Amino acid sequence: MKKSIIFSLALIIGVTLLSVKAEAKKTVLTPFDKRDWHVTEKYDSDAPLRDYAILYDAGGVDGAIGVIGIPSMRTYRHIRVGVDLHNFPFSGSNAGNNNGTPDGKYLYVSDKGANTIGEVNLQTGWTERIFALPVPFGVHHCAALSPNGKYLFATGELTGKMLKLRLSDGATTVLNIPPAPSSPDYPDTSKDGKYVFSGNYYHSTVMVFSQDPFKLIKEIPVGKNPHGTNVSPTNRMVTVCDKLSATLSVIDVETLKVHKVIPTGAGPLHNQIDSLGKYVYQSCFVSDSTSKIDLQRMQLVDEFPIHYRVGHNSIAPDNAYYVSQNKFSTGLFTPTGIVFAVNFELEDIDETSDTYGKSVKIIPVDGEPHEGRQIFATFIQRWNTGKGDDLFTKGYDLGDVHVSFGAKGRPGLPANVHPQLEPRHVANTKKRWVPRDNGKPGITKDGDVYVIRVKGFSYGYVPRFIHVPKGAKVRIIYTNIDKAAGLTKNPDVTMGLNIYGFYGPRTMIIGVRGMSMVAEFVASKAGEYEFFCQHFCGPLHLEMRGTFFVDPPGQQASLAVGDYDSVSMKEQLVDENEHVWVVGTNKLMNTLTEGKEPTI
Amino acid sequence: MKKTKILVSMVFAVVLALSAFTVSTVYAGALGNGSAITDTLQIGVITSLGDRKLTIKTEFEKTPKSYSLELLPECYVMTAMRGHFKKFKELKKGDLIAAYGWYKGGKWNARRIDILDRNDYLIKRLASDAKSGSYYKHER
Repeated sequence: MKKSIIFSLALIIGVTLLSVKAEAKKTVLTPFDKRDWHVTEKYDSDAPLRDYAILYDAGGVDGAIGVIGIPSMRTYRHIRVGVDLHNFPFSGSNAGNNNGTPDGKYLYVSDKGANTIGEVNLQTGWTERIFALPVPFGVHHCAALSPNGKYLFATGELTGKMLKLRLSDGATTVLNIPPAPSSPDYPDTSKDGKYVFSGNYYHSTVMVFSQDPFKLIKEIPVGKNPHGTNVSPTNRMVTVCDKLSATLSVIDVETLKVHKVIPTGAGPLHNQIDSLGKYVYQSCFVSDSTSKIDLQRMQLVDEFPIHYRVGHNSIAPDNAYYVSQNKFSTGLFTPTGIVFAVNFELEDIDETSDTYGKSVKIIPVDGEPHEGRQIFATFIQRWNTGKGDDLFTKGYDLGDVHVSFGAKGRPGLPANVHPQLEPRHVANTKKRWVPRDNGKPGITKDGDVYVIRVKGFSYGYVPRFIHVPKGAKVRIIYTNIDKAAGLTKNPDVTMGLNIYGFYGPRTMIIGVRGMSMVAEFVASKAGEYEFFCQHFCGPLHLEMRGTFFVDPPGQQASLAVGDYDSVSMKEQLVDENEHVWVVGTNKLMNTLTEGKEPTI
Repeated sequence: MKKTKILVSMVFAVVLALSAFTVSTVYAGALGNGSAITDTLQIGVITSLGDRKLTIKTEFEKTPKSYSLELLPECYVMTAMRGHFKKFKELKKGDLIAAYGWYKGGKWNARRIDILDRNDYLIKRLASDAKSGSYYKHER
């Protein structure tokens, strides 16, 4: 009897203590949460009125940055930037993981279609400046920021080049990366300011550059066709997604050699390392999964299934959630038009959570988003509550660090002004859908119009090389002739054709099975311009390339012969009176004084 | 003969010691031997605080080390969960932090300080791993 009383008392005390502990674990409201009158929830939940983090995604074919709340997964807004967006770092520093150490001012997003980098002001929520990259270049990724935040490194996938860009004025240093075929792909910077690492898709290597002076040091052989290449927050290792080897190569930053090759899932594309460098989450396109690799034990420790065909990914700044940015939706959502929405899947990666490893939300998204990065919502200020003038005069505080945009302005920007740029996505073209065209691929003449029939398939184009004279009226009839189905294909898969740079806004042609698309424009600028598939269509999507030559009178266009100074001005992206907000261009090429511009 | 044997043994011992030293430095500070001053992320408990300077004793590794960190002017302090900004003076001895920055000019320059929560799953995981002999920054 006595024993049972003691046992009951112990049980009551135990349960009480546990309840107190559980209560203590709940999130306590801070002044930040309380400042909104409409916050009615006492504690945070999966559907809060305020999101604690924001996912910015480079929206790919819709040319806009998507702004999505975490964990609600609500889309708040889209920020128009250009033609075909791929990836970006936040301004501030590259310290930490992919999300970096933001200062809340900007993000810098690569536009593969326009060959530009768009500067988005996170506080106004608008595009503020455009860095017009040199031509020929053909940017793919630009996610690599120097530790001091003053330089950006970008890959010229379409011409085999790399560049270092000075963010104050857009001046660039460009390196050629032979031998051809050479395809610098996804870059990241070491956190100590020493190196830039970038996969070279065709060389099956990771290239190592010194940040300052900017030059190639060596190439490290890795698995076949590397894609995502990321430096760990500790700066000890570089994790490389070996797309066609189904492995993760781990490079030792000290020795610049491969330390270990870890088998993961099939078709690994991109990495997200948590903020402490413990785990790397890898998107595996073919195996439809997220691989979780322990970087301490150097082994695969978990695998999460995802809906279908993951491409990019992002991780919450507190490591609680992971967003699988899937490429296809396979009829998951209500049809709204010719191209199906792709989807984002929110996965709970908190190992102590009841829903660990599970998808907790799935949403359709616009465009075909490429990389996403997340930032705590506390970085974004409220400028529309009578404090707007502070944006121009005072700035804002991050704890006891004051951040100001400065009243003097910067090169390429008038003093004390924050532009609202809405660059054109599609312009100077005439596009239409037509019934499937079964004409023979190649070039024919219809009066004075050059009719170019292009067929797209897994994975390439016929014809691959197209020549027209400068000034020609061009009509491209693009047809997706793919019949494959199964492992990597389904009827929803869309292919595209986009000629980078000057012809980017003029093309953006979509290839849907069963119909053709026609684009008409004037080939008014000479030069050699790569075209590529702007809709992710399968594991070898990057192989879908061709070249559009616009030959000047009496000459054949090449990487050395073309109207490159003219097209680098990007005058087609914005109105004439907005040209002041376009900086960079060929005129500033190689004006960096190498060796005198520290990156740390 | 005996002297020769002793001499050979001594030379062998010296060579062995040197080779062991060489092997141990292959991954020193890179992948195998715990934290190093050149790491760009340090995790530890604050042991002393000064004027935008602090000292930490590292956690979750085999042999804790002490590092003095100096905050760069743009270095902010925030909670690792929810991202609430704090002032430097709100840091306390005993706080577990993650410091992001780099070693340059004989100083470890902090660019960001995150105040970690021991209830966070990742911290729990690092602690339990260390308890079972899998130490942080001792990658295999």
